[in-house]
Amino acid sequence: MSYLDNIRNFSIIAHIDHGKSTLADRLIEKTGLVEARDMKEQYLDNMDIERERGITIKLQTTRLVYKAKDGNEYILNLIDTPGHVDFNYEVSRSLAACDGAVLVVDATQGVEAQTLGNVYLALDEDLEILPVLNKMDLDSARPDDARAEIEDIIGLDASEAPEISAKTGQGVDEMLEKLVEVIPPPKGDPDGKLKALIFDSYYDSYKGVVIYTRIFDGRVKRGDTIRMMNTGKNYEVTEVGYCVPTTLPASELKAGEVGYICGSIKQVADARVGDTITLASDPADQALKGYKKAQSMVYCGIFPAEGEKYENVKDALEKLQVNDAAFNFEPENSAALGYGFRCGFLGLLHMDVITERLAREFDLDVITTLPSVVYKVVMKDGRVLEIQNPSNLPDPIEISHIEEPIVKADIMTPNEYVGSIMTLCQARRGNMVHMEYLTKTRVQLHYEIPLNEVIYDFFDALKSRTRGYASLDYEFLRYQQAKLVKLDILLNREKIDALSTIVPEEEAMAKGRGICEKLKDIIPRHQFEVPIQAAIGQKIIARETVRAYRKDVLAKCYGGDVSRKKKLLEKQKAGKKRMRQFGTVTVPQEAFTEVLKLDDGGK
Amino acid sequence: MREIELRADQTGSKEEIDTVYIGGGTPSVLDVSQLRDILHAVNKHYDIRDDAEITLEVNPGTLGVKDGVTLAKLQAYKYMGINRLSMGVQAMDNDRLHFMGRIHTAENVVRDMKLLRQKGFDNINLDLMFSIPGETTEQALEDARRIIELGPEHISCYSLQIEEGTPFADMIAGGEITEVPDEEDRDTYHRLCRMLEGAGYEHYEISNFAKPGYRSRHNSLYWDMSDYIAFGLGASGFEDGVRYKNISDIDGYITSLKSDKLPVDEVHTNSAFDNISEAVFTGLRRIEGISYEDAVEAYFRATDAEGTKPHGSDACREFFWQVFSEAGGEASDYEERGLLIIDDKGLRLTEQGIDISNSIMSLFV
Repeated sequence: MSYLDNIRNFSIIAHIDHGKSTLADRLIEKTGLVEARDMKEQYLDNMDIERERGITIKLQTTRLVYKAKDGNEYILNLIDTPGHVDFNYEVSRSLAACDGAVLVVDATQGVEAQTLGNVYLALDEDLEILPVLNKMDLDSARPDDARAEIEDIIGLDASEAPEISAKTGQGVDEMLEKLVEVIPPPKGDPDGKLKALIFDSYYDSYKGVVIYTRIFDGRVKRGDTIRMMNTGKNYEVTEVGYCVPTTLPASELKAGEVGYICGSIKQVADARVGDTITLASDPADQALKGYKKAQSMVYCGIFPAEGEKYENVKDALEKLQVNDAAFNFEPENSAALGYGFRCGFLGLLHMDVITERLAREFDLDVITTLPSVVYKVVMKDGRVLEIQNPSNLPDPIEISHIEEPIVKADIMTPNEYVGSIMTLCQARRGNMVHMEYLTKTRVQLHYEIPLNEVIYDFFDALKSRTRGYASLDYEFLRYQQAKLVKLDILLNREKIDALSTIVPEEEAMAKGRGICEKLKDIIPRHQFEVPIQAAIGQKIIARETVRAYRKDVLAKCYGGDVSRKKKLLEKQKAGKKRMRQFGTVTVPQEAFTEVLKLDDGGK
Repeated sequence: MREIELRADQTGSKEEIDTVYIGGGTPSVLDVSQLRDILHAVNKHYDIRDDAEITLEVNPGTLGVKDGVTLAKLQAYKYMGINRLSMGVQAMDNDRLHFMGRIHTAENVVRDMKLLRQKGFDNINLDLMFSIPGETTEQALEDARRIIELGPEHISCYSLQIEEGTPFADMIAGGEITEVPDEEDRDTYHRLCRMLEGAGYEHYEISNFAKPGYRSRHNSLYWDMSDYIAFGLGASGFEDGVRYKNISDIDGYITSLKSDKLPVDEVHTNSAFDNISEAVFTGLRRIEGISYEDAVEAYFRATDAEGTKPHGSDACREFFWQVFSEAGGEASDYEERGLLIIDDKGLRLTEQGIDISNSIMSLFV
């Protein structure tokens, strides 16, 4: 019997909130690695933001030891996956490191769009899937319906799916037995040429980049010189070991095992997820399949707010980048906002997480501009420019046409909301490709929608129209020609570059009007009238005016209450700090992000 | 009175008092004996100077209803040493007075004024309110004209401020009444200034006008960083570089005094920067403005003042702009726009600058 027979490499896949992290906690507790009392709630989600939002962004992987009823001890390598559509590639690489997956379905909710998305990713990697029904402690659990959905929608046999409650621990032992039985042991040749898959990495200030890896063939130990097959870079291994989930050094890692490798690597971008590690002295012939470069889908500008130092923001972004290969930035100069950075993200959530970390972990005050997608601008002379900053759009006279990214969006919803979702998608320039009844009451809608329409507040709008029942999964599909124009905003007749957007020509008028109205509410009154104009090229298409104020005076000093007066003045001064000065016009910082959060009702 | 005792004990020696102001609310509803006891307590613990300005706030209509009693009351005020009266007239139109929830009428004001004069009060302030919702500039000016006719020595003009959470604010939110537009409010203000100046009143503070020699000495204390001691519910004082504010809740106030504790709610020891900053923004309320020398003087009154005290106007100016180096640019902008005058001696607001005085003052906090 090979050592491989006692290893199981698996992931837990689930829709957000279906209990993935709770189940991971329970497994860690059951297999005795962490005492129950030492457990932070949801051990694997180790960033505050993740815990608050109940989502997993950075992966944590852990090695569990389970003594099964057959008397054997099994090494269970639980490989965590991020739980959001922005991170599909990362999910797919984590799954590629596994031989099986536990599919957690909330017995009170049934199958959701994301469940399906993740199952397909798992099936792409030929994983054995063990369906599990969670939240069985709740009265509203309807396991038979959930089982039927798994069979009907996904096509998996769910008749023997363990019924568990990750929260109470009910049924978890039975599930572990089933896991050992259903999920196959890894295959691999420990004496072959080294082939190891990087499925995650993080930066540690002492060790440098710590790579999480699954060894497919061969072995690796300290002192070896490894090579990243896709980037071609070589590093000397300083340490290998297991993730428990903290690092536990070991003498070597060999085929079938999951663990970590360190090699004085400076930033995570040098140990890109999906890359294959081999030995420089005896390299494998071929890299493992599936490697992709990180591709930013959404861009926005990040600028130091009034009083914040450029250098501080730069330092913070550099620190974040060291640990996040999918995040990139470069210096940008805006006439309106000064020196700052153009930043690329996998998606909106990724963007939110980064900007929130800047505020929370680095205590920085930044202005984020409207997110933008990457447009392909085909020039009359045949050149193709990639534009992700609206203010860089060339003169329309030189442009032949513009192409925008389209995503394939899968929306799963109870049937009663189909109508309102279709209205929403239509308003967002979506094309319905296909609609299918998964069960009598659950429908899946397949749409093709411009990414530009999805990034603002599509998800929120979808949730609010379906009382939170609909779920969304999307991925990039193709670039497609569209009639787009640049919409400029002028304050007091001065163009504010940071407020320019690229919009569909036919919607320009409505959007321009919406933005002007919104700005009218946001911009405080000045001592002069401030005209707000929306323009396409030289043509003004909408206009509002902020009336002048003539008065900012306290008539009375309230019986010598100087402190009160002082507090008022201090508040006024602090308020002004949150403002930006454009020529003679003062604009509050939130204007840059708030302006496009237009009400759907208005569309 | 317990508070006066407690606070005086804290100070130890008898301090010299230059002005006394009894106001906020309607102290004229107090019995003569109660008022006398209060003044007596102050006099016992402090040294009220012979030429002190002692002001009492009175409301029209609370005097003179029963002539016999009232005249006696006024007589008593005189005996107590009250030598200045401030009357909250607010408007000279009964509809607007009613709207403001006042119990008096314009006729009451005229009669009361006559009574006060009869009793020999020769230093009287009348308060005028403008920008009452629904009021036109012409109406406000008419009120002012009628007040000037009464010939008070001092007139205060306040633009009605609608504060959040007040019934007026709710009425505006509900659309029942409309706030007077800023443009109109300021137009009224400037025209009132013209009218009062034409009638021989000096405009010496944003909201205050006085005939020569009748500026309020008490109010001036607030604007030149002098000490003032405060007693009563929610009152604010400034003593030896410390600002304090009393408890505003009556039960808490009484409980505190019963346990022999000063009913103080907030205490803040001013830093040198606090001092200079307050000197500037209170000083800017005066039409004559704030001199660099006075501002610097306030700065060095605090114990944490750093550096050596400059002497002479030029040195003070230099020091001043060192402290407020960040404000310099914007201050110059205001100067260029004719809102602020910056000269060798100090700073002062122009009449246009008054309209946006908060924006200018906030440069210095």
